[in-house]
Amino acid sequence: MSVWQALAGGFVGTAALTTLLRAATEFHLTRMDLPFLLGTALTADRTRAKALGYAAHFVLGLVFAVIYYALFTALGRHDWWIWSIFGAGHGIFSGTVLINVLLPAVHPRMGTTLSDSTSVALLEPPGFLARNYGAQTATFGLIAHVLYGTVIALFL
Amino acid sequence: MAAMTTSGGQMREVSPRRGGYAPLRSYAAIGDGRSVALVAEDGRIDWLSWPDLDSPAVFGAVLDAEAGGRCLVAPTVPFRVARRYLPETNVLETTFVTETGSVRLLDAMTLAGQSLGPSRELQRRVEGLTGRVPMAWAVRPRFGFAQKPTRFGWRMGTPVATAGSDALAVRVFDAGAAQVCEDQICGSFASAPGSSAVIALSAAHQEPLVFPSRAELSARFAETTASWRSWIDTRAYAGSFRPAVIRSALALKLLIFAPSGAVAAAATTSLPEQIGGERNWDYRFCWVRDASFTMAALLRLGCAAEAQAYFWWLVQATQLTHPRLQPLYRLDGGAHARERSLPVSGYLGSRPVRVGNAAAGQLQLDTYGELLATAWLYAEAGGRVDRDIGHRLGEIADLVCRTWRRPDAGIWEVRSAPAHFTQSKMMCWVALDRADRMAVRGLIPAGHRARWAEQAAACRDFIETCCYSSARGSYTRTAGEQELDASVLLGLLAGYGDPRGLRWRSSVDVIRQGLGHGPYLYRYTGEDGLSGHEGAFLSCSFWLAEALARTGRRGEATELMEQLVALANDVGLYAEEVDPASGAFLGNLPQGLSHLALISAATAITEQVSS
Repeated sequence: MSVWQALAGGFVGTAALTTLLRAATEFHLTRMDLPFLLGTALTADRTRAKALGYAAHFVLGLVFAVIYYALFTALGRHDWWIWSIFGAGHGIFSGTVLINVLLPAVHPRMGTTLSDSTSVALLEPPGFLARNYGAQTATFGLIAHVLYGTVIALFL
Repeated sequence: MAAMTTSGGQMREVSPRRGGYAPLRSYAAIGDGRSVALVAEDGRIDWLSWPDLDSPAVFGAVLDAEAGGRCLVAPTVPFRVARRYLPETNVLETTFVTETGSVRLLDAMTLAGQSLGPSRELQRRVEGLTGRVPMAWAVRPRFGFAQKPTRFGWRMGTPVATAGSDALAVRVFDAGAAQVCEDQICGSFASAPGSSAVIALSAAHQEPLVFPSRAELSARFAETTASWRSWIDTRAYAGSFRPAVIRSALALKLLIFAPSGAVAAAATTSLPEQIGGERNWDYRFCWVRDASFTMAALLRLGCAAEAQAYFWWLVQATQLTHPRLQPLYRLDGGAHARERSLPVSGYLGSRPVRVGNAAAGQLQLDTYGELLATAWLYAEAGGRVDRDIGHRLGEIADLVCRTWRRPDAGIWEVRSAPAHFTQSKMMCWVALDRADRMAVRGLIPAGHRARWAEQAAACRDFIETCCYSSARGSYTRTAGEQELDASVLLGLLAGYGDPRGLRWRSSVDVIRQGLGHGPYLYRYTGEDGLSGHEGAFLSCSFWLAEALARTGRRGEATELMEQLVALANDVGLYAEEVDPASGAFLGNLPQGLSHLALISAATAITEQVSS
């Protein structure tokens, strides 16, 4: 058990999470596109935004893996189901706080509930549990994060 | 009292209410890019959905005069009124003149200022002009379309009304002592020359209320006025219809939902197309059918930022159903618009009162042409269509190749059996034409160009063979029938066929003759699956004016346009429809399509004159 294992798990977990959400998008179950959301915080060029967004997304995936590793060390257990539950908690926190409240607050091109006629938003806000991006978004977001937590646990 | 003119326009008697309902023509709109309130000329706000345009109404008296909420500020003695918007703003000024004096009421939904303000705020400011005028005000909120119980109380000396996670505070300055009665917050005072009273509604949704000071309210009001003027200063149109175009631009800006960039079709739900009838729809959604008009208007007015936001929203919202398009999407980009009826009495008994719109599930083939035409306009104006979007647009063109032969519900969303609507076929041809143009420019993959061209030719053959009646001398409503439909004019405006050709020139005349009533135009003749009848559709009249201009008859176009501009209400707004017999407004308001069509016709006429 080492931080390198956690980082490897974070990389694979992020890849799995991204792949699942992308597949859900291709099947028209959600319009959630995390790399796009992250990338457009840096540029209004859609193509460049996706490239930058993927990089940013994997960096964030690694950061969260280190946090998982710290929690794992503190807890001293590595049962996969515990980390699945952590993944679920992470998913719920993301849907309710991270991308619902914090992302619109810091994203320079995203509308918020406070946007008015003095501003022009290029991106619609995700809304609670990202439901603005499709009714199934919350379900697939949760599954993806459970998968992320489980993958990290398998590496530790 | 003799008729007089003030800076607020022509002084006149107030149109009487019927059964508690003001004529729809008497409403002015104020808003902040998130929601819109309707203010009647007697000083009553009868419509406001908070926090957002598509939220349930907190003031819904326009749909239920008894149970619906409202907010009144008016003299307690008989009065006459004159109204206007403060120049180049969406700040409404109503001047009341009584036997004892006069006051002016300024209404605005304020925009974000420098200080901490409420997430939503509506200010009503009363300024004494002459003499002494006894005034009364009353705020009667009814949350959730009057379906939620409203509780009243006090917070630090401020009266508040709450219902669940919604709350509304009433801040009052020099407008008498606020009282909480059984079902409202109210007060009274008398104005004097130079006096200034403020009644401010501060709203909160899922957050604590903010209680602004008088100085903060005044600063925010001034900033709001300045902000609207600043926005108008950068608008581009300079033709002969500039006042109407600028007012339409401001009305359109009220319908642009700032949090997402979507453009709502109208600010209200279920204002009837026929008094007492069932043609009552929720228009607080974004219709794809309005897309190219919206894009063209935004670009012509020099609203590049709004145009980009709208295109991004359109691309994102339609992704969920790609390559299929729904006729409409929610303002937040969602695809669900479940329709249901509310247990309220409806405007003058017009029921059902609907929220949601079942048209979301219909097949409307014209939407594909609208989307591709919008993308083309955006690209032509220098907007970036990246590879992903280009690929998707190509897939949509492929879908059109497979589906254009199907019957659909048409642009008017008829609830009768699907049919081969001519306008739908014309817009399918437009879709394939724009796809080809974009492929030539390298914006979308060109691999299927031959197929698009083949299907476009087949579509055109179908239209020219089956959708034109030599007997009537016009394109008809549907293939093989003789009914007329003003929407076929959209084919001309979108570039289908030669506008100076015999068929279009003849069709314009026949449609004007067959559907016209003075300057008004009805939408169509024939079955639509609904009982009753409706008024004349205002945007159709503007389409006719533009069609006249594009077929080379700019004199007739200008003459018609001048008549249409005069049909707006006293503050320059249009509803969806008009009763040709009485001139009464019908349908939801302010109606985006009416104002978009006005802008489009005005700019087309100006371009024709210039050329």
